[in-house]
Amino acid sequence: MHPAVYKVGLQYLSGDIWGGNARCIAMFQAFKEAIKDYSTPPEKTLIRDLTARISSYVSFLIECRPLSNSMGNAIKFLKNRIAKLPLVLSESEAKATLMSDVDRFINEKIIIAEKVIVKHAVTKIRDGDVLLTYGASSVVEMILLHAHELGKQFRVVVVDSRPKLEGQLLLRRLVRKGLSCTYTHVNAVSCIMQEVTRVFLGASSVLSNGTVYSRVGTACVAMVAHAFRVPVLVCCEAYKFHERVQLDSICFNELGNPEAISKVHGREDINYLDGFVNQEKLQLLNLVYDATPSDYISMIITDYGMIPPTSVPVIVREYRREHLWS
Amino acid sequence: MPDTQALVNDFLNKLKKRKIEGSQATAKQTAELLRSVISQTRVPYTNQAAALIQSVKAVGERLIAANPVELAVGNVVRRVLHIIREEDLSLTAAAMAGVNLSAVSDDEDDADGDNQPVLSAAAIAAASRSTLRPPSLQTLLEDVPDFAAVPHTSSSGGDSEGKSKSADKSSRSRKLKHDVIEAVNELIQDISTCHEQIAEQAVEHIHQNEVILTLGSSRTVLEFLCAAKEKKRSFRVFVAEGAPRYQGHLLAKELVMRGLPTTLITDSAVFAMISRVNMVIVGAHAVMANGGVIAPVGLNMVALAAQKHAVPFVVLAGIHKVLRHNGCLTSKLLDIFVQ
Repeated sequence: MHPAVYKVGLQYLSGDIWGGNARCIAMFQAFKEAIKDYSTPPEKTLIRDLTARISSYVSFLIECRPLSNSMGNAIKFLKNRIAKLPLVLSESEAKATLMSDVDRFINEKIIIAEKVIVKHAVTKIRDGDVLLTYGASSVVEMILLHAHELGKQFRVVVVDSRPKLEGQLLLRRLVRKGLSCTYTHVNAVSCIMQEVTRVFLGASSVLSNGTVYSRVGTACVAMVAHAFRVPVLVCCEAYKFHERVQLDSICFNELGNPEAISKVHGREDINYLDGFVNQEKLQLLNLVYDATPSDYISMIITDYGMIPPTSVPVIVREYRREHLWS
Repeated sequence: MPDTQALVNDFLNKLKKRKIEGSQATAKQTAELLRSVISQTRVPYTNQAAALIQSVKAVGERLIAANPVELAVGNVVRRVLHIIREEDLSLTAAAMAGVNLSAVSDDEDDADGDNQPVLSAAAIAAASRSTLRPPSLQTLLEDVPDFAAVPHTSSSGGDSEGKSKSADKSSRSRKLKHDVIEAVNELIQDISTCHEQIAEQAVEHIHQNEVILTLGSSRTVLEFLCAAKEKKRSFRVFVAEGAPRYQGHLLAKELVMRGLPTTLITDSAVFAMISRVNMVIVGAHAVMANGGVIAPVGLNMVALAAQKHAVPFVVLAGIHKVLRHNGCLTSKLLDIFVQ
């Protein structure tokens, strides 16, 4: 086990690194370190052995925290590149090629993709808008900050939820840059939606039937926005698209720590469940993701442009085949 | 009267300082207070109902102003006023029948009225007009009810009729108060037993192997679910915690203590879980006249999700929570609701 991979795994476990893009980049940096220090054992081929090594690293990371869809796509890309390495290359050349491929992936699919998404999305923000966002998506944060730099006049509503309360981090960063923000809990979203003009959401992944798989609570926000006829724009890089289909949030999900539900951070008076947590009749369910049906989504903003939810399988089919596995 | 004043002031104090917990207790104490006010009110000979209404209104307005958030107070006051008007009307109709009866029997020298009450249409119309008329210029100018006019139309009066008339009137005044107090007692009884009455219906709605979703905590919901559990229905409950008060934790604890399999979820997971839920059962703060519900924050989201997934959305509310108007959350009320 390479120490860099071990470190990243522990960071996932403790929650220090969270968010689709951050996890993916951290994983690839760790893999780059591992590839750099790798040397083929005698009697083994580079391709097969390296693939096996990467698989073992991935199993370790899964033990720490289940993979997100985007990480699954990224690992598929890496294994594909390893398998396509020409046999004539020497070990150091092969390693160099791999590392440059990984760099290219991170650069093209994540960093530049984010910039393109921001460029598209700020055209959808007008002066006087009230923008609502949920949780803390890195792309949405970049969009809001860029729009503010361009001088657009708008205000932001940050909706947050238990138990992670990720919205507070986003709120701090926005307020520091001078945006006027409102902060509320997801329960009050029906009260605040009357004032909102646009909803910007991030996604962990977008599935083939247009369903957006994102932080739990996103579906509630999208549903209420739809009821109030507010457009919902989902900002997601194309490498996060997946050809799988999911009908509801229960079929496939991740379970978080149940203790996080019974305890409320900062409110010591909410201790009704002390000593009750081990009762067999009581189950504490901490879902991490949920699936938002495509009828609630007005538009998906990706690095390939602004598309309706029905065009997701097209992107998956066409661009994936050409670019990722060429 | 001073006795009642002291009671009223004491209750007003409790309301202002929010010393009374829960809408059921508030409603019950309001009804009991109004009962004392009614029994202490001195009613004039004529137009007793108006006097009672006047005194109840005066006290009621002060009660409502003391705690505008607790809508049960206003509901109970309006119900008592309605009771007064209703009892007055029914007494008038009965008295009309009685007067005609005595008139007819006087004519026939038959004291015991075994005859059919022959009600002349004009008499009844006059009676109902006098009792239930909303204030108008006519009623203001007419102090005396139309009873004086009626016997003239039905038959020629005599001394005996005059005596029966006055006897009717004084017995009528006592009877009105008596009837009203009886009806208010029934109201208090209804309010006290509202949880039991609602819980009795639990078995009709909850069947085997159901999954029920609720948000926050409500005593009515707790008793409802436990009543179904008593009748050996097996079902599972999802409780959403209901931030920022987190009353869902309390409800989950109560349900687990009574042996119901319970799952506690966050409010954001409501849409995720609702596809697996058979029924949503919640309590309410108040039920509006158009069917709308004033409830703890977050229930609008649950209702929308239930509508999307065609899940029945059941609201449990006692009679003291039913508003007569479409209460809107005015900004003044919102300021008080927001802590």
